[in-house]
Amino acid sequence: MSTTLDRPIERAPINKAEAWRFLGRPADFWLCAAATLAVLLVQAWNIAGYPRVFDDEGTYLVQAYAIDHGMGLTPYTYVFDHPPLGWIQLSTLAWIPAAIWHSPGQLVVAYSRIIMLPFTVASCILLYVLSRRMTLPRWAATLAVLLFGLSPLSVTLQREIFLDNIAVTWILAAFVLAYSPRKHLWAHVGSGLCAAVAVLSKETILLAVPALVVALWQNVDKRTRKYSFVGFAGAFLLLIIQYPLYAILKGELWSTGGKISEIAGITYQLSRPGSGSIFDHSSNAYSVLHNWLFYDPVLIVAGAVAVVVSLAYRHLRPVAIGGVILVLAAIRPSGYLPAMYIIQMLPFFAIGIAGLADRVVHAILTYRAKPVFWQQLSRLAVLLVCIMLAFVYVVPRWYSGDQNADTQDLNTGYADAVEWVHTHIPHPGDQRIVVDDTLFLDMLQDGFKPSRYDIYFFKLDVDPDVMDSLGGSEANKWKSIQYVIETPYMWENAVQSYTTEKVLQNSKVVWYYGAYPPNSIKGQNSDVEIRQVVP
Amino acid sequence: MLAGAVLVISIVLFSIATVTLWWMMHAWRTPEVLESTTFAQSDGQTGLSITLLLPIRHERQDVVENTVQKMLECDHDNFDIVIITGADDPETTGIARRLALIDPTKIHTVIDPAPRNKATALNAALASGQCLGDILGVFDAEDVVHPELLNHVDHAFRAEDADVVQGGVQLLNFYSSWYSLRNCLEYFFWFRSRLHLQAEKGFITLGGNTVFLKRELVEPPPGSDAQWGWDDKCLAEDCELGVRLSSAGKKVVVAYSPEMVTREETPDTLKSFVKQRTRWNQGFLQVYRKGDWRQLPTRRQRMLARFTLSTPFYQAASGLAVPTGILIGILVKVPMVIAMASWLPVVPMFLVLAFEMAALRDFGKEYFGKEQPDQSHKVGFGSYVKLVIGMPFFQIILMFAALRAVWREMRGHKDWELTKHVGAHLVAPAPSSAATSA
Repeated sequence: MSTTLDRPIERAPINKAEAWRFLGRPADFWLCAAATLAVLLVQAWNIAGYPRVFDDEGTYLVQAYAIDHGMGLTPYTYVFDHPPLGWIQLSTLAWIPAAIWHSPGQLVVAYSRIIMLPFTVASCILLYVLSRRMTLPRWAATLAVLLFGLSPLSVTLQREIFLDNIAVTWILAAFVLAYSPRKHLWAHVGSGLCAAVAVLSKETILLAVPALVVALWQNVDKRTRKYSFVGFAGAFLLLIIQYPLYAILKGELWSTGGKISEIAGITYQLSRPGSGSIFDHSSNAYSVLHNWLFYDPVLIVAGAVAVVVSLAYRHLRPVAIGGVILVLAAIRPSGYLPAMYIIQMLPFFAIGIAGLADRVVHAILTYRAKPVFWQQLSRLAVLLVCIMLAFVYVVPRWYSGDQNADTQDLNTGYADAVEWVHTHIPHPGDQRIVVDDTLFLDMLQDGFKPSRYDIYFFKLDVDPDVMDSLGGSEANKWKSIQYVIETPYMWENAVQSYTTEKVLQNSKVVWYYGAYPPNSIKGQNSDVEIRQVVP
Repeated sequence: MLAGAVLVISIVLFSIATVTLWWMMHAWRTPEVLESTTFAQSDGQTGLSITLLLPIRHERQDVVENTVQKMLECDHDNFDIVIITGADDPETTGIARRLALIDPTKIHTVIDPAPRNKATALNAALASGQCLGDILGVFDAEDVVHPELLNHVDHAFRAEDADVVQGGVQLLNFYSSWYSLRNCLEYFFWFRSRLHLQAEKGFITLGGNTVFLKRELVEPPPGSDAQWGWDDKCLAEDCELGVRLSSAGKKVVVAYSPEMVTREETPDTLKSFVKQRTRWNQGFLQVYRKGDWRQLPTRRQRMLARFTLSTPFYQAASGLAVPTGILIGILVKVPMVIAMASWLPVVPMFLVLAFEMAALRDFGKEYFGKEQPDQSHKVGFGSYVKLVIGMPFFQIILMFAALRAVWREMRGHKDWELTKHVGAHLVAPAPSSAATSA
């Protein structure tokens, strides 16, 4: 079928891929399944070994543990730092790692990372469906999933127990529902509910909600638009409002005099000191950005460019707006840039790149020139350029990045420390040990008692409950503590807490891990010390 | 113990409220569904003869005359009108006789020898032998019939092979009082949306007017004493007939086109509103107890029947239980989860309110909008405020009517409390001083 009567210029044939089926399942099923499986394998392999356990992972997991064990939303006083729905979800999945806990030498936080795999799988599937619903062809949808899940940056961050990963899954679900092909009212209500769950999982995803509204606007029918929007907004707000409602029922909506309250919590988050400009070499934002770029510049740079260019295409616009807003918020110099912030941008970047790639391919395929030979030649040339770029620039980079992720074990120091505590500290139930949150659950497993005896150092001098349980005057409370496990994270932040500093100053190293002997160079990777307090 | 009860009740109420919300919004689920709820475009042909039944009782001449005039303006080519009055009401009978003189070939009169209610009047018409049309259509004294309605109904019967066609009925005088606004919206949701779902699922409670049915379905069967006509012992004869016919597997089609709905008015005082609502609720209760719905073929349909017929009582129960649960959550020391759960049923309730506001906008546009002939009133900001503030108070009224219905049914009060009509929905309202009461 190469000629039509009303079209005098001859067109080179385009092999339109037929919708093939295999084993009774459509092509979409197999492509989505294959891409998701590839992501799952790469991300699951060596999930406990790489990257190094991060303080926040421990925090959320400890809070999920607290819910599971009837201790409330956290083992300490809940300070409205984040809405709790994220770790409430984690707590419902806690049975997964529980199946493989209790083997010696395994770090609880590291192995619990498999909790994140269901979220990653769900995000991949939703991303595929969303791409298809945005009228991207199958190959572009598959590309989006692979970009989203196989970038070394993704492999690193999506493995970690971060609330952002949970929020991404839910916001993708909200987008998929907003694109309901039947324009179903209850899909739009469901979209509002999913968006609310996303925001209650990690509040910063609120930045993506305007993009969701644009998506909904593009996809509703004029006749039922009013009801769709009322349903969407109503469901979203009524679910969000449960968070302040919780604070009201607890009598902690607002407060005076530095007491805990939701308003104070939100004010704190909004007024966190800015990370500075990403262009200022000495700023925090700069180092955060370069940490991301270290893992993968491809997805970040290409993605940021793609979302801006995608603004020009109507069918890509909602996702482009989401990406652009998130990027603008990140480069705002006065804002606080959390280390995991980029997680929320990844799906937008992936669809942006895939959507734009589709536009480019489409333009080439519909490019008409005479004679047909030139068309075929130009197509071949572009194809070659793409393959060269991919194989020379992207694939080796990603291969080595993903290979690191699947082979290196950065957590042996922590695991060995836990093992040492297990074999060398008798009667852990009567001892007080100060740790950072990554090791909190390991100490519990070892027999320390939660929150009074096994102490998260960030709570020292901050949580009155913790301080009251330590005897003596304010200046001497550190003497009630017997051990401390010093990690790089604690070392960096100890200066914030008087008692922590005291404990570190008045203690001797009883075990250490790392390339450098104790008290030589601080802050090196893998530097872990167990110290016994000498009053 | 208390905490457990609050949790269970909250979950039950939440589920009921969610299902009710789901059904309430049936018509707007997808654009296709919305499209399917209106009358199909008529093919311009007619094939059936239609008899319009108009039972009247203690009515004012101007109200009835307006109704009959509008009926005569119908462009269907084969219909007649039967006006039914009671033997104990010579004044209204006189009005009917005078009206019949307008067009003696088209208008007939029937006198109900033992008048008690609308059902006896309709049955008297059936027994009189004056109803000759293939299709019978029931209207009320104050109904304004759209001239094209009969053609569309004729088409719906033929095109969809229906046994019954229920047209839309819409209360219009939202401006009359605070409760009339909510009452209008109730009708809007019921006829625009919910009835379509009921028809689709094969269990429907018909409305009292703009109902068209094949004559053979209600005619006294020769030589048999099976039940025929309308049930004159039931306080909601319309609901009863719908349940009886749908339980027998008859096909009911519902169609709502804003320009063709029958326009009606809300009861003129709160007292008569409560009386009317009590009568309906009591009627629902009677239909429930009569149990025709048990013959429905599938379990789902029987569940739907059970649920639909007991809705007023769920409403009353939740009106009491939701505030109680919330108060317990706030005042009594219960776990946080329970206190949060007590708010659960409020979520679908507020969603209902939000959808009501959207619907009010549609209602205003479809009946009082820029392109409509009636510009006398406008749905403005005040109407939305009234809608929101009126919600709890309307709930209390409904609750009261539901409890009153149960009370009356238990005490055996089964008399007919009639609603009177003052013509508030007519474009030029008549002076209300001449109103007669029931």
